[in-house]
Amino acid sequence: MSAIQITNLSKAYGFYRIFEEVTFTISSGSCFALFGPNGAGKTTLLRILATLQAPSEGQFTIFGQDGVAEKDAVRSILLFIAHGSHLYDELSATENLQFSLALRGQKPDVSQLKRALDQTGIGAYGNLKIRQFSAGMKKRLTLAKAILAQPKLLLLDEPYNALDDGGVIITNQLIQDTMKREGAVVMTTHDRNKAAHIATEGAILQAGHLQLLSPEQLQAHVLS
Amino acid sequence: MSFLNTIQWIVWKDLISEWRTRETISSMLFFALIVILVFSFSFAMDQDAARQLIAGIIWVAFTFTGIIGIGKSFTSELQNDCIESLQMSPVPKGAIYLGKVTANFLFMFTVEILLFPLFVIFFNLEVVEAIGMLLLVFFLATIGLSSVGTLFSALTVQIRAREVMLPVLLLPLAVPVMIAAVEATRGTLNGDPYAFYSQWLHLLVIFDIIFTVVSFWLFEFILDS
Repeated sequence: MSAIQITNLSKAYGFYRIFEEVTFTISSGSCFALFGPNGAGKTTLLRILATLQAPSEGQFTIFGQDGVAEKDAVRSILLFIAHGSHLYDELSATENLQFSLALRGQKPDVSQLKRALDQTGIGAYGNLKIRQFSAGMKKRLTLAKAILAQPKLLLLDEPYNALDDGGVIITNQLIQDTMKREGAVVMTTHDRNKAAHIATEGAILQAGHLQLLSPEQLQAHVLS
Repeated sequence: MSFLNTIQWIVWKDLISEWRTRETISSMLFFALIVILVFSFSFAMDQDAARQLIAGIIWVAFTFTGIIGIGKSFTSELQNDCIESLQMSPVPKGAIYLGKVTANFLFMFTVEILLFPLFVIFFNLEVVEAIGMLLLVFFLATIGLSSVGTLFSALTVQIRAREVMLPVLLLPLAVPVMIAAVEATRGTLNGDPYAFYSQWLHLLVIFDIIFTVVSFWLFEFILDS
């Protein structure tokens, strides 16, 4: 079953075309790594899938739901871990989790919150305000949110940034868990070594065009 | 999640953040105090003259103080790109709007309640008999200002010159509410019979309903754009 189906997707800002006529399919139970140089439009493509931006042309579906016409249905099954942490500085880690999950219609109990924080290695800081968190701790907290949210589609923008080795293991575990649930993961990354351990499909976005990689090409790319 | 739960969570988040920083309320109070001091020293008034002018002074102070609070309502969401999280949440956007309106209303109304005794002291007002009606006027006008203000706060939050654009866009729309509030406040402070100024209260109710319904409907488009 295809998790994401993208057809002739284009994005332009005025006359400046970011990418054009991108077409590909991502199957459920897979992790799709999107490579490309800075400014190629990787984050823009991810933001379109996250329903934060509208495409200029083309269409896409996520688990059968139209990404433009059925935004709310799509939003209920995806989670986007972006460059910004989406965390409120004046709330504690636990309060941030409670708030963001409440807006997804979820109400985890105290033990579930504690377990997710422990799983991401920040269990001791549950009552600490985000203002006092480092970038790596914030990233771990967003991973805790993803563990609790259990989205069908996980969108990760440079997921390994700011993470230590332990954080990378937690991220890869989260990706594997999502794949096991027959969900899908799409990530942009420059870190080919780390992506090598986890990506099952991939593509390079460059000069406005997407080049899909076969499994052999993907391995050759991440190891090059 | 139910519509009401979303409203509750938004209000809870805004109130708890404000309680921990006191950034919005303190800046609102500071600004309003300066306005009261400047006006009180500018006019050497007797009580009758004060009653003619004080309604306007009160609403100038309340409106501009409110704009400070309303402006911060969505700029706080820019921190760590939290506004994206609101955009992507699969809840009715109207519930987010009403949560924000409620929080803004509470900030503004709290500041108004704290400030009004200072107006009474500085301008030597007699308000004991009128206090109930005055609170009703404050309540109705603050609903109107916070409902339309919250919409424009969301509209201008992504604009670079948002501090300038918010009052520029908001004030022309808020003028009917301000005029009705000034007239109702003047009538109340003068001790006029209710029938003399009741039409201004009715106007406030009508504006509250129109502004809230239209803003509620438009908010989804604005948050998503």
